[in-house]
Amino acid sequence: MRVSEMDMYSPSTVEECLYFLHEEEKSSRLLAGGTDAVVRMKDGYFRPEIWINLKRLDELRFISEAENGIHIGPLTTHTDIVKSELLQEKADVLVGASREVGAVQLQNMGTLGGNLATASPAGDMIPALYVLDAKIEISSFHDKKVVPIHEFFTGPGRTVLKQDEMITNIIIQPQGENEIGIFEKLGPRKAQSISIVNVAINLKMGENPRECLSGKIAFGSVGPTIIRSKKCERMLTLGPLDETAIQNIAGAAWKEVMPISDVRGSAKYRRSMASALLERGLHRLMQRWDER
Amino acid sequence: MKEIQLKVNGEEVSIKSPPASTLLDVLRDELDLIGAKECCGKGECGSCSVEVDGEVVCSCLMLVGQTENTNITTVEGIGQVGGMDVMQQAFVDEGATQCGYCTPGIIVSAKAFINSIDHIPTDDEVKTALGGNLCRCTGYTKIIKAVQTAARRQLAAGGAPG
Repeated sequence: MRVSEMDMYSPSTVEECLYFLHEEEKSSRLLAGGTDAVVRMKDGYFRPEIWINLKRLDELRFISEAENGIHIGPLTTHTDIVKSELLQEKADVLVGASREVGAVQLQNMGTLGGNLATASPAGDMIPALYVLDAKIEISSFHDKKVVPIHEFFTGPGRTVLKQDEMITNIIIQPQGENEIGIFEKLGPRKAQSISIVNVAINLKMGENPRECLSGKIAFGSVGPTIIRSKKCERMLTLGPLDETAIQNIAGAAWKEVMPISDVRGSAKYRRSMASALLERGLHRLMQRWDER
Repeated sequence: MKEIQLKVNGEEVSIKSPPASTLLDVLRDELDLIGAKECCGKGECGSCSVEVDGEVVCSCLMLVGQTENTNITTVEGIGQVGGMDVMQQAFVDEGATQCGYCTPGIIVSAKAFINSIDHIPTDDEVKTALGGNLCRCTGYTKIIKAVQTAARRQLAAGGAPG
């Protein structure tokens, strides 16, 4: 299929879109911000007969708080997330990830749903969604279901999404007053770059100085999908998070990750950097916690 | 082929194009607006930056079918010789351009940036705002200075976003 022969369908409601996915027999692919899909079209990987342009589905662009969590529409852009006061207050780690995802242009274009569905092992939003216990609402014309984020990905670039399904909501758990989070990323350059390693951290703090009650740590770009570092998470609660404790926890991280070597970095380098980023992230978090 | 209506630099235009052509290709090949450039083609360099509905985007990653009925501003719409914008004039005065390939994209990004603030930006603020625009002549020092000069002049002229 040549680019010049591809058609485009622009539904104006989710219902219309799901009906089209259900009925259409030609090959089709959903297109949101295009920051990944259009690159792959140019490279020859994505050549559907019909692009389904989601940019008109304003009903999927929202950020709101409900009883079961904060709901974020899949077409919410990174700029929307960065500007949201609700998310700044109750999902700082997600805001941090959106700020690091790329420069202004990509923040304006890229969407949360797009980052999920692309399922890149280096996708910056995914670790942040892991530590906020995200759930993904998946809809088809006849059905609707909610899957926890750790069941959503099946491999690099692969998810449980079927051809006739789309993401219609992303539900995260808001941070309490004693929770703080951070997103750290190492890329080839500061702006607009794909992660070599990234890590999202969310900690629940106690009454005593630097006492951590529980915490979640998720690494990106160091395995086929996101890696939750359970061993490091357990170490968080062993004692106050002073500099020695932070160094010990970070030191354990390299065993938790299983990176590959690729054009962006070797496996050995990635292991070292996973430790370094975790140490930096915990250090910065504790400084912020002390100063609050 | 699809007929697509757009508003480009304040003018309603109607073009016939495959909907999966990039906005950049349509601007350059159909509308003769050759300010925006293609360089990396994957959203890393910012040479193709234009404003779509008030937001700076990489036009090389936007399919024209997605931009139907949007309002697009390219560097040509920001100002022309004889009626240059404060940002363009600042680039001339500060000598902030070398080979010039990245300049149109940088003007679009920088203009949107100074319109969104009401102070003279620090070096770091300019660097963050222009993080998505590469200059491989590496003339960043003068570019940063030009953005600050433009912001100062725009504020002195009443600060009204122009």
